[in-house]
Amino acid sequence: MRKKILIIDDDPDFREAVSSFLEINGFEVVQAENGARGLRMAKRERPDLVIMDIIMDERTEGFFAIQELRRSPGMSGVPVFVLSSIYSRIEDFTIAPERAWLEHDEFLAKPVNLNALLSRIRRRLESEEESGGAVTPLGET
Amino acid sequence: MDESPHGEMPGVPRRLDPHPPRIVVIDDDYAMRLSCRQILAKSGYQVETFEDGAHGLDSILTTKPDLVVVDLKMPGISGMEVISRVKEIDPLIVIVVITGYPTIGSAVDAIKSGAFDFLPKPFTPDELRLVAKRALERRRLLLESSRLEFEREFLKRRFVTFVSHQLKTPLVAIHQYLEVLERMEDAPDTATKRREWHQRCLKRTDGLLAIIDDWLTLSEIETSDLARRRVSVNLGEILSGILDVYEELAAESDVELTLDLAEDPLLVRGDPNCVSVLFDNLIVNAIKYNRAGGDVRVSGERVGGEVIVAVSDTGVGIPEKYRTFLFDEFFRVGGDAARKTGGTGLGLPICKRIVSELGGKIEVESEEGVGSTFKVWLPVYRDDAGLQAEEEAAARSSDIGVGASK
Repeated sequence: MRKKILIIDDDPDFREAVSSFLEINGFEVVQAENGARGLRMAKRERPDLVIMDIIMDERTEGFFAIQELRRSPGMSGVPVFVLSSIYSRIEDFTIAPERAWLEHDEFLAKPVNLNALLSRIRRRLESEEESGGAVTPLGET
Repeated sequence: MDESPHGEMPGVPRRLDPHPPRIVVIDDDYAMRLSCRQILAKSGYQVETFEDGAHGLDSILTTKPDLVVVDLKMPGISGMEVISRVKEIDPLIVIVVITGYPTIGSAVDAIKSGAFDFLPKPFTPDELRLVAKRALERRRLLLESSRLEFEREFLKRRFVTFVSHQLKTPLVAIHQYLEVLERMEDAPDTATKRREWHQRCLKRTDGLLAIIDDWLTLSEIETSDLARRRVSVNLGEILSGILDVYEELAAESDVELTLDLAEDPLLVRGDPNCVSVLFDNLIVNAIKYNRAGGDVRVSGERVGGEVIVAVSDTGVGIPEKYRTFLFDEFFRVGGDAARKTGGTGLGLPICKRIVSELGGKIEVESEEGVGSTFKVWLPVYRDDAGLQAEEEAAARSSDIGVGASK
C-alpha cells in the first residue's frame, strides 16, 4: 500500500512542488495550509508521516500544531519532519527535538534537497515498519 | 541536535485542545469526588480525580489540565499550597476552590493567591457546571491572549529572522519548483505542469520584488528621506489621482469607488509623496480585502486643526483579537482571503510610520462581516502669508509622485 504523507505549509507553491515530487516517487500526498486544518486532516487521513512548516498564518503556528498532534489520540507516534527556513544559519535558534512542545523527528532547512528529503522519509518509514509502528516520538536524532 | 545555550524560549502557551477540556478534581471526600466526576463528565469534560494534593499535583505536572478544582481543607498538602504549586507549574491553568461555609474567609484568600473562583459546599450540579463553564471560558481567553502576546514577543526578539524568512519564502518556492522540474525530466505529460510552474515562479519573483520595495520604503520613511518636506498637500487631487489609478482593479474586483470630501480644496501639511503612499496603501487594501459587489468609500473633513480621512470597505472585517497587531510588520490576518491577496505584510506598517512622521495618527474600526474603516488624522495646512507661494510651488513640482508610488 502506498504510504501517505501530510504536508502542512502555508505556501501553496511549496506544497505543490514538494507533493508533486513525492507523488512521482510513489507516495500519496495530502495537503493543509494551516495548523488547524492540518490537525483535522491528520485525524481524517491518518498519514504515515507529517511534514510541518513553522511560520504560517501565525508566526509560531507549527509549534502549536506539533503539540496538539502529539497529544491527539493515535497521532502521538507519527513522525513529524519540520521543514522551515527560520533556523537555517541562525545559530542561536536551534531547538532540541526533545523539547516537549516541539517533539519533531527531523529538522530540514528550506529549501530542502528533494532527494535528501526522500531518502530520509524512506528510512524513517522503513524503521517504523520494522518496529511495528511502535511509538518512538523522539526518534533518531 | 545539540541544545544551544541560547535556545531558551519562554514557556510556549498552549492552545485549548480540540479535545474535551480536561479537569482535575482534588478532594479528600470520596462522595464529593464521585459526584464531581459524574456531573462534569456529563457535560462532556474529561475528568480525573485525586484524593490528596500530592497525587493531584503529580498528574497536573504531566497532563497540564485546563482546570483544577480543589478542596481547600484537606489532610497533607493544603488547598492553598496546591494553588501556589499549580501556578508555578503553569500560570494559565485555571483554579476553582471548593470550600465549606465556615471557611469562606479562606476562599477569599484563595482568590487573592490566584484561584479564579470558589464554590461553597453544599452545591448543586448546576452550580458546579456553571462555575466550571465560566472557568473554562477564562482559560480560553488566557490562552488566546498569551499566545498572541507570545508571538509578538517572539517577533520582536527575532526580527531579523522574520525579515529574512519573508524574503526567503518566495525564493524557497522557486527553488523547489526548479528542483522538481529538473527531477521530473523523464516523467511523461509534464508540459502543462511545466508551463504552470514557470508562471508561478514569475509571480513569486514579482512578489519578492514588491516585498523588497516595501521594505525600502519603510526604511526610507524611518530615515526621513521620504517624509522630509512639509508643504501644502491637496488631498482632493491626491485621492482622486489614486482612485483613477485603481479604477480598473476595482472594476475587475467588482468594487465601487466613491470619494466624498466635505470641502475642496482640503489641505493638509506634509510631504506629498508620503501622503500619496499612505492613501495608496489604504485604498488598495480596501479594494483587495473587499467582497464582490462591495464599496470603497473615501471621505475627508476638517475638524479643528486636523483633517480626518476615512477609507471604508465592505469586506470581511478584522477580528478584534487581531486589531492590536494589525500595524506590526509582516502580520497577516489569518485565513484564505489574506493568503489569496498576496500582500507583502508591510503596507499597514508603512502607513503607520508615515502618519507618525507627519504628526498624525491612524486607527481602525471594524465589524466582522460588515467591513473596516481606517481613519487617518493629519495636521491641517495653515495659510502662512509669504510662505504659501513658495510652498505651493514646491508642492506642484512634486506632483509627479502622485499615484506613481507603487
